[in-house]
Amino acid sequence: MMAKMVSLTIDGKHVEVPEGTLVVNAAKKVGVDIPVFCYHPKMEPVGMCRMCLVEIGRPMIDRATGQPLREEDGSLKIQFGPKLETACTTPVSEGMVVLGATEKAKAGREDNLEFLQTSHPLDCLICDKGGECPLQNLTMGFGPGESRYLYDEKKHLAKHVPLGELIYLDRERCIQCGRCVRFQDLIAADPVIGFSQRGRSLQIVTYSEPGFDSYWSGNTTDICPVGALTTTDFRFRARPWELRAAASICNHCPVGCNLTLNVRREAVSGGKWVVKRVMPRQNEAVNEIWICDKGRLGYHFGRQNAERLKKPLVRKNGELQSATWEEALELVAERFQGVGSGLITLASGRLSNEDLFNLGKLTQSLGGRSLLYTSMAGGDLTTQIGFAPGTNFADMGKESAILVVGSDLEEEAPLWWLRVRQAAKRGATLIVLNARNTKLDRDAHYSLRFPFGMAAAAVLALVNALSPKRPELPESIQELARSNELKGAAKAFAEAKDAVILFGSDGMGLAETQALAQACANLLLTTDHFGRPNNGLLGVWPRANDQGAWELGWQPSMNLPADLAQAQALYIVAADPVSDDPAYLNAFDGQKFVVVQDLYLSQTARLADVVFPAQSWMEREGSYTSGERRVQRYYPALQPIAALPPRVESPGTRRAPLLTGLRAELDGPQADFAIPAYLAEKLGFEGFAHASASLVFARLAAETPSFSGLTYQKLAEVHEQWPIVGRADMYYGGTAYENTQGLGAQLALAQNGASLLSWPQAADFKLPKLGGIAFPITRLYDRGATLMHSQLLHKRIGEPYIVLGEQEANRLKISQGGFVRLTFTESQQSVVVQVKVDKNLPERVVLAPRSFGLPVSGPTPVELKSAG
Amino acid sequence: MSLVKDALDGVKATFTGLATTFREMVSPPVTIQYPEEKRPVRTRFKGRHVLKRYDNGLEKCIGCSLCSAACPADAIFVEAAENTDDERYSPGERYARVYEINMLRCIFCGYCEDACPTEAIVLGDNYELSFTSRRSSIYTKEFLLEPVPEGGKPTPQKVEPGVYTRSVPVMKDPED
Amino acid sequence: MSKEKLPYFLLRHREIPDLDNLEVYRRNGGFQAFEKAVTQMEPTAVTEVVKASGLRGRGGAGFPTGLKWSFIDNKNWPHYVVANADESEPGTFKDREIMEGNPYQFLEGVAICAYAVQANAAYIYLRGEFWDLAARLDQHIAALEAAGLLGENLFGTKYSLRIYTHLGAGAYICGEETALLESLEGKLGQPRLRPPFPPSYGLYGKPTIVNNVETLTNVPLIIEKGADWYRSMGTEKSPGVKIFSLSGCINKPGNYELPLGTTFRELIFEHGGGIPQGRNIKAIMAAGASSSLIVADERALDTPMDYESVPSVGAQLGSASVIVIDDSVSIPWLIDKTTHFFRHESCGKCTPCREGTFWMSHLTERIANGRARREDVELLYDVASQIRGKCLCALGEFSIEAVLSGIERFRSDFDVAVGEIQVAAQVEQVPASD
Repeated sequence: MMAKMVSLTIDGKHVEVPEGTLVVNAAKKVGVDIPVFCYHPKMEPVGMCRMCLVEIGRPMIDRATGQPLREEDGSLKIQFGPKLETACTTPVSEGMVVLGATEKAKAGREDNLEFLQTSHPLDCLICDKGGECPLQNLTMGFGPGESRYLYDEKKHLAKHVPLGELIYLDRERCIQCGRCVRFQDLIAADPVIGFSQRGRSLQIVTYSEPGFDSYWSGNTTDICPVGALTTTDFRFRARPWELRAAASICNHCPVGCNLTLNVRREAVSGGKWVVKRVMPRQNEAVNEIWICDKGRLGYHFGRQNAERLKKPLVRKNGELQSATWEEALELVAERFQGVGSGLITLASGRLSNEDLFNLGKLTQSLGGRSLLYTSMAGGDLTTQIGFAPGTNFADMGKESAILVVGSDLEEEAPLWWLRVRQAAKRGATLIVLNARNTKLDRDAHYSLRFPFGMAAAAVLALVNALSPKRPELPESIQELARSNELKGAAKAFAEAKDAVILFGSDGMGLAETQALAQACANLLLTTDHFGRPNNGLLGVWPRANDQGAWELGWQPSMNLPADLAQAQALYIVAADPVSDDPAYLNAFDGQKFVVVQDLYLSQTARLADVVFPAQSWMEREGSYTSGERRVQRYYPALQPIAALPPRVESPGTRRAPLLTGLRAELDGPQADFAIPAYLAEKLGFEGFAHASASLVFARLAAETPSFSGLTYQKLAEVHEQWPIVGRADMYYGGTAYENTQGLGAQLALAQNGASLLSWPQAADFKLPKLGGIAFPITRLYDRGATLMHSQLLHKRIGEPYIVLGEQEANRLKISQGGFVRLTFTESQQSVVVQVKVDKNLPERVVLAPRSFGLPVSGPTPVELKSAG
Repeated sequence: MSLVKDALDGVKATFTGLATTFREMVSPPVTIQYPEEKRPVRTRFKGRHVLKRYDNGLEKCIGCSLCSAACPADAIFVEAAENTDDERYSPGERYARVYEINMLRCIFCGYCEDACPTEAIVLGDNYELSFTSRRSSIYTKEFLLEPVPEGGKPTPQKVEPGVYTRSVPVMKDPED
Repeated sequence: MSKEKLPYFLLRHREIPDLDNLEVYRRNGGFQAFEKAVTQMEPTAVTEVVKASGLRGRGGAGFPTGLKWSFIDNKNWPHYVVANADESEPGTFKDREIMEGNPYQFLEGVAICAYAVQANAAYIYLRGEFWDLAARLDQHIAALEAAGLLGENLFGTKYSLRIYTHLGAGAYICGEETALLESLEGKLGQPRLRPPFPPSYGLYGKPTIVNNVETLTNVPLIIEKGADWYRSMGTEKSPGVKIFSLSGCINKPGNYELPLGTTFRELIFEHGGGIPQGRNIKAIMAAGASSSLIVADERALDTPMDYESVPSVGAQLGSASVIVIDDSVSIPWLIDKTTHFFRHESCGKCTPCREGTFWMSHLTERIANGRARREDVELLYDVASQIRGKCLCALGEFSIEAVLSGIERFRSDFDVAVGEIQVAAQVEQVPASD
């Protein structure tokens, strides 16, 4: 349904736009930049800064006849308003004439800037925004050249006020545009900052403890038009004009937000390139112009820290010692030869498509098993019934239904939480189905609860409500199945033109998520919502490239400790099982040959026989497949670490590379895809690319049907996105970067959708009479290895804890912040841990956050005792 | 007789020329015997950079990197850091933790001096610069910073909170 | 035009003692108009009567009341009525006297308005400083509920109405109707974008009629005695009676209920008793602090006080809070007062008002205290002109009126303030040639 088009003239240029477009946006279409501060294309206008004042004229209408009046030459008679009008609040109308370049309009801008400059301090020298500051640019372009204001009469307010430990606020620089407050209210749904007082004393305050308690706080520093809100991470670190931009993809979660890594080559780091900060890159199909604080502030693990592994390590006389690549590769090739099925390659979704491809190919060539290190299953279904090309959350609205089951979406994949929420506001029917309350429930049309452990059964209840063939459902789910709300939700889901299901791992492990994914697939098949855009199954995976791993055929083992124990050789890449669960120690009995490939010397690496140092994602290129099945490229930002000392023949000469055969001597960490390729070369296997990621990708695309047709060139294609951000008019969209390096491409679906129907085990899950069950949940900020290198997040991450219900806490006679002794029933290992109380949790249910040192990867029986 | 005249003319010319020579021989030389004697430099001579201090010893440089931005030869590197009242290097929030000038790149144009808003970096009088390696041509902040003036204290200083809140010296309204 | 003294129609408590007692009020005809409206008239008919009467908003804008009621959006429900009792304009104290002395007529006006627009809930937003008044109004409302004049199914019809009071927190800007609605909703008291206007999008996004206390107090009489009766008073375009709040350099300050069209002269000299100590009148501020300064020459004094005539002397009638200025008052001192008021009360949402009122107050402070030069007066004029036409709401626009008119019409006062002319007694000025 096409919107009605309206034509108007802006600064002499004719433009046609849909009805309802604001003048400021219509102007952008013809390249006229009207200055704004308080208006932002992603938010509703408020018209408060008065910067966008322009002259607006409308055709005069004869009151009697209702016809437009005309001049002698036949053109419409235009009447201009007595006052300037704000372009950001005025929708276009037919025949409108907008003048933004007249003396009157320019005087309006100059006057407004003069007003702002009477209060704004001359902080440009020490302000982090200098160089990318809309106020600077507009003052240079339109402002008065001299000040008529006496300095002694200037308003003084508090400077560098910490709003929490992540964001600094400078109240003097603030121009009271309200963008930060509105963003937090409307988009982030965390109204933790607001205006206080009035008049010239109007200033921003934070209401939360810790201050600015929101996962989205960093975005306000992008949209703030001045240096009032800045991150502590980037404070004083560099000047924007000194930085170069490298396109990258976030490593933390399966959304795959597009990032820009800003790097600078600096003397303090010995002349190396260093990443100074992370900024968003616009991709309207993935993360729009936002990134969460974990992506923005949790990048430090990829930097070239002192703790990074720089050289291969080989165990000699019981100790790990530095070795050359040649030595290490030789040893591994020798020991892997002939192991056959005794080899297990264990890799996680932190690796790129290219890495997983080469690893898988090597393992296959050796006859070994490739296992995906994950606690969430169901990905084999998403490769067949997942998102199809053309799927975009932005296109979901009144005709769509979104079911989010078993996931705390803001903690597991923040940007999907934001986009699902926005889809719900646009009219999509949002059904949230979970064992406990999460932030997304606030926006849900149907908010349904099932008992802990019954996720798959709950989804089957939805199927039952629609399908005449009803398998029996377990008893504990019967009440929900009979409820009108569930029936209403099922009906809304079935009747929607398009529907998607997001399934997560809230309170679930491998078996439970496998069953859940199958149940979701059944529902999609029953309601025929698959195989076309904006329909399908989405897994909220724990890691960035889990979808890529599934697409490439990697699968987890349902009993990993047993498998590892039985293997004869282990090749562990980007995984640290020992840190996650001491039970894995059994696998490292000293009999088997263990190779670990990682960035840092992890606990698992300490037990290895050979350790290969890997390059971080900042130092190389590669591609990730997001949960939405979009393959996106990332580019190198840093030069790889050189581990060998420079060979200096005489003072001042450069070190010449030593050529052995056709390859230079390997120096420093290598890419995760290259190392298996070197091994393959040594083992005499053909067909492994190693020289660059694009070559590996070319092979990958040739050998994997869903990737067919994709090339690095295709992934680098871009087209103009709306709203236009990142160009000279920084005031419009903020300081997110324009995307010139690639928007990515979605994978084609495997063909056989309909044959996926199968009925998972939906056994009744009963909580025990004694003790409890610990269910794993995800927290965005955890103590995982990828985040602990970011010192400034430590306070937000906090100490390990578990969550108990009120009844449980009362029974143990402890309150919020108290300590309990948690004993794992099977292993009888115990730990003293702090308690948080959630009054809505049922008895016998314990929530254990993942990656906090508690080995809970699925529902685990535990016992609790108060700890003195 | 023209031959004699010619000869006499020649001798005269020789003596005229030699007169200049002898006159110059006995007039004082303009050569300065460097390095024992040194010619004083002019007022606006652009020699080696100096990072100035205030009278109380605080550094004038606030780490704003404008000099680095202005430098046409990309010779300056600045890394800023935060002042605290316990450890104060300069007035205001920001100071230069690292300040390096690559003297082999520098063309002594003086743009950095023009750009500096606090008159911290000035091109001084010293022109006697030499290095024996490229690395030693990179002058660091410690080398460039001028000594603490009479009555001032060395940096970092521990100061009263709330006194040094402005990065740029107090500017007075114009009087004329 | 000599008029007999009319009886009081709004400040009836000055003639009828204990009018704030419901019994007394009812004995004097109270709530018959409301009953008549609810039981005998269609809601739209009520609006038509008010429209025909020509009643205009008494809060300052002078917008035709009946017309405003007719704008209410009948496709969006529920409707609300809000009485604006945030009387904060300096020099205005009429609503206070009405609510103290004749509260039931006001409440009846609220009720009739609610019936006309079919609202079942009405709110009275009082300025924070009126906590006493709010408590008393709550008692009056309770008395009405006890008497069956408010509540469910009034007079045996299906119409129900409840009235609630709400206190502000000391902000003049909350007298602006959309800022009032924001404050009533519990948010920061800052004006909204208009359009949309409250009759389409008001309280909680629903159609709302916001009227001043005095406006609503007129309504019961109009319903009882008819539109023609109301039009028999006042002028053709500004019918009815108005309460003029007289203050400043005057012998008898106070509220005076007079028909619109009464001249300034009559108000100030006849009713107000003239200027104390026989001084000369210099200027008139007709609309409180938001006024332009009227030069009080003969022509101005003979100007009728109604919405059409006052603009002829370069000002607006506004809320008719007439502040009289005599020749002992220095205009720079006066506008220093007004600019400080506006700077204190500016909500801060839009740049020109937030920064401009702050700047102007500094300039006027220096000028009034003899620390300025002539350039500063030019600058003040410039700054005020810069604010004009750019603000989000009327506060910013009106904050400049006194400044601009002061400098334009009383330039000599400013020249004295900056020391360019000595006070007349000391220096003999060269007389202008004829």
